Amino acid sequence: MFKTIRQRFRDMGTIKALCFEAEKLGNADGQKEPGAEHFVLSALALPDGTARKAFLRVHADPDSFRAAIAKQYEDALQNVGIALPRGAEISGEATPIPTSKGPYKTQPSAQALMQTLTREIMKKEQKADSTAPLLSAHVLLAATSAQYSVAARAFRAMGIDPEKLAKAANAEIVAYRACL
Amino acid sequence: MVNLKSLPSPEEPAEALAAVVALRLLADKLEHSAVSSAIEQGWSWSQIAEALGVSKQAAHKRLASVHSKADS
Repeated sequence: MFKTIRQRFRDMGTIKALCFEAEKLGNADGQKEPGAEHFVLSALALPDGTARKAFLRVHADPDSFRAAIAKQYEDALQNVGIALPRGAEISGEATPIPTSKGPYKTQPSAQALMQTLTREIMKKEQKADSTAPLLSAHVLLAATSAQYSVAARAFRAMGIDPEKLAKAANAEIVAYRACL
Repeated sequence: MVNLKSLPSPEEPAEALAAVVALRLLADKLEHSAVSSAIEQGWSWSQIAEALGVSKQAAHKRLASVHSKADS
């Protein structure tokens, strides 16, 4: 019982860090509210390292995900005949927005990711083991459940099969828990 | 000028919708940069609103963060 409560407090800390970093990344990207892709970037920076290891398991460089977000925007614009000047990026450009002082808000894609994460993935995990920790690989699992989001298109831009990434994320979750 | 025939076919909604998302983001960023420059050049919110084709209140509400950035 005590272990379960202690773990829930730790998970709250993980969610706080995840949301705070996602907002920072979204704002730095010139967007008022973070999207699911910023939550994936934020997950890749979480200290448990399972999301990064899941990327490596499918032979993808986790540090390339930010560039992949920009690439999928460029590809989408090219489809309508707009080519950005060489070196220019629609994503990651230096047009930062100050962090909001009001209530925490996210884009709908991030709301969907958080709902999948908390209401489906973690609910199932904690039903099997009430002391199961929330890991960055769980965030990846939630992100791979979307087919048409910016995050999903960025995975495809990196040549990542979302199903294989989900399997890799699950494998990393099992490996992490085996070490506890 | 973009040739409308070169746009993604509506029969390929995934590509067409991805283009819409990218265009929106590009438009938002262009708007922020242009408003930021306008404020730095001494434009009033009335002038910015007129150029954007929106009310002064709407422009200020939507772009207040650009205002605070230009002030800092």
